[in-house]
Amino acid sequence: MRIELYGVLREAAGASEVELQVTAPVAVESLLDELAGQVPGLAPHLPRAACAVGDSLVSRRHTLDGSQALAILPPVSGG
Amino acid sequence: MEHITDQPLDMAQLLEETRNPTCGALVVFEGTVRNRHQGQSVARMQYTAYKPLAERVLTELEEHVKRHFGVAECRIMHRVGDMGIGEGSVMIVVRAEHREEAFTAAKYAIDTLKVQVPVWKNDIYPDGTTAYQDGVSLSSCGQDHPGS
Repeated sequence: MRIELYGVLREAAGASEVELQVTAPVAVESLLDELAGQVPGLAPHLPRAACAVGDSLVSRRHTLDGSQALAILPPVSGG
Repeated sequence: MEHITDQPLDMAQLLEETRNPTCGALVVFEGTVRNRHQGQSVARMQYTAYKPLAERVLTELEEHVKRHFGVAECRIMHRVGDMGIGEGSVMIVVRAEHREEAFTAAKYAIDTLKVQVPVWKNDIYPDGTTAYQDGVSLSSCGQDHPGS
């Protein structure tokens, strides 16, 4: 499952994407736990991050079927 | 209609798009890159965005502003990429019958954009080091969202 990283998360991970080996369907919460384990530098950022699939924010309980990437969005600073 | 661009913002284009003979008031807000942030000199700034959600949020914000403030036109464009000091990062054009609602709507639009749009600023300092600006959480991944 492809995880897209944005903002400071790219710096923390040293990458704009991470590929997680998980079995779908999988809940966002599980993906975040797996992500924190695989990329420890991201762990401190995740509590303040939002998650999105396509053009919608999703909750921690949302289940992914593996067909779309999960985007992790740190606190925003646009404008 | 796009809202995120990697090109310099084009005020003339937005003015033409929003031209409306029923409007007697035009308010334009442009955010520009400053040379200091939290006491430090800034040489340049880099903006990035999560485009799918950013486009949706800005589309919905334009519609909400028009409905809620009774203004005829609202167009928002946000630029991404590397920008120098003084360059425009965001532009909001509001046209209304009268100035009061135009000013109010424009302020609401930029205030709301800054807490809702998935865009990030990365300061580039004169020595070449960089630092992402802290921002506003869209949510914690532990919270529910309407419709999810």
